[in-house]
Amino acid sequence: MSLDLKTKREISRQAITDAIPLEIPAIPFGLVLGLVITESGIDYLVGWSSSPLIFGGAAQLTLISLLGSGSAWAAAVAAGLVVNARHVMYSAALAPTFQHQPRWFRWLGPYTLLDQVFALVTIRPDEEPAAFRRYYLTAGAMFWSFWMVTVALGLVIGPVVPTEWNLGFAVPLMFVGLIVVGINKWPKVVAALVAAGVTYVFAGLPNKVGLLVGAVVGVLAGYLIEVNRR
Amino acid sequence: MSAFLAILVVGIGTYASRAIFIVALAGRQIPGRVLTALDFVAPAVLSALVIALLIDDSGNVSIGWPEASAFAVGLGTAYKTRSHIWTLAVGMAVYWVVRALI
Repeated sequence: MSLDLKTKREISRQAITDAIPLEIPAIPFGLVLGLVITESGIDYLVGWSSSPLIFGGAAQLTLISLLGSGSAWAAAVAAGLVVNARHVMYSAALAPTFQHQPRWFRWLGPYTLLDQVFALVTIRPDEEPAAFRRYYLTAGAMFWSFWMVTVALGLVIGPVVPTEWNLGFAVPLMFVGLIVVGINKWPKVVAALVAAGVTYVFAGLPNKVGLLVGAVVGVLAGYLIEVNRR
Repeated sequence: MSAFLAILVVGIGTYASRAIFIVALAGRQIPGRVLTALDFVAPAVLSALVIALLIDDSGNVSIGWPEASAFAVGLGTAYKTRSHIWTLAVGMAVYWVVRALI
């Protein structure tokens, strides 16, 4: 069933209005990423290409920071992939909705399946496939274009910022914020603390491999607590 | 070029993680255990990253007073405001102030 023009406009307008408040917090995030690219020693254009190719701020930040800090290629890639592994959950949650969608959209949709897009579409009631598709695509396109521009701006601003400000510290700090905001049950606190502790203990391992050891042990700790308290 | 390759690989992996159930396994159920474990991926990985990013070239974790104070205040701010942007703003302010004082 196709939508009439008025309905189409209304859905698009709604998607744009919903997306804007979620895009504002992405501004400093994108600027920091641009800055980190300029300080990593990676070619600007190559660094920026992570925006269209990966399209996920936390993984981009992780990968570029680790590559720039002399971490081994494989460790940096593994860390970037692990950071984005949470999207598997989004994919699983939306799979039933996408079953009623045309094939091209099932392939294109996941490309813009950000945390924010997931949050927006899951709080919407079940709607007609064409309406869902229009909403999803409008919001996705908004986030996409916004992110490309913000990261590019960061690249321009990056070299102007004095290195003494040590803005690279913004990255672990922002991650602390993301961890705390994402915690909705205490086993997650344990998972975070164990992961940090183990990574600290294995800090001396070459190429920051301790990061992966810490992450795996942290997930395991949270999982065991969760399973045992049920 | 190797940086580009790294970006490409993570890009493909990211798309795969977003598409896997929507494209390939639309009709199947994910085992509950896997979902339970996946739920802890974000806090564990991000937390390990915080430490990993502070490891210097000699393999030591370099946390001084400025970093420690910024983390402490940042934790409080994140808890109160539930916003990583406020955490960033307040934490960086504390970081710069403490660094200037010592």
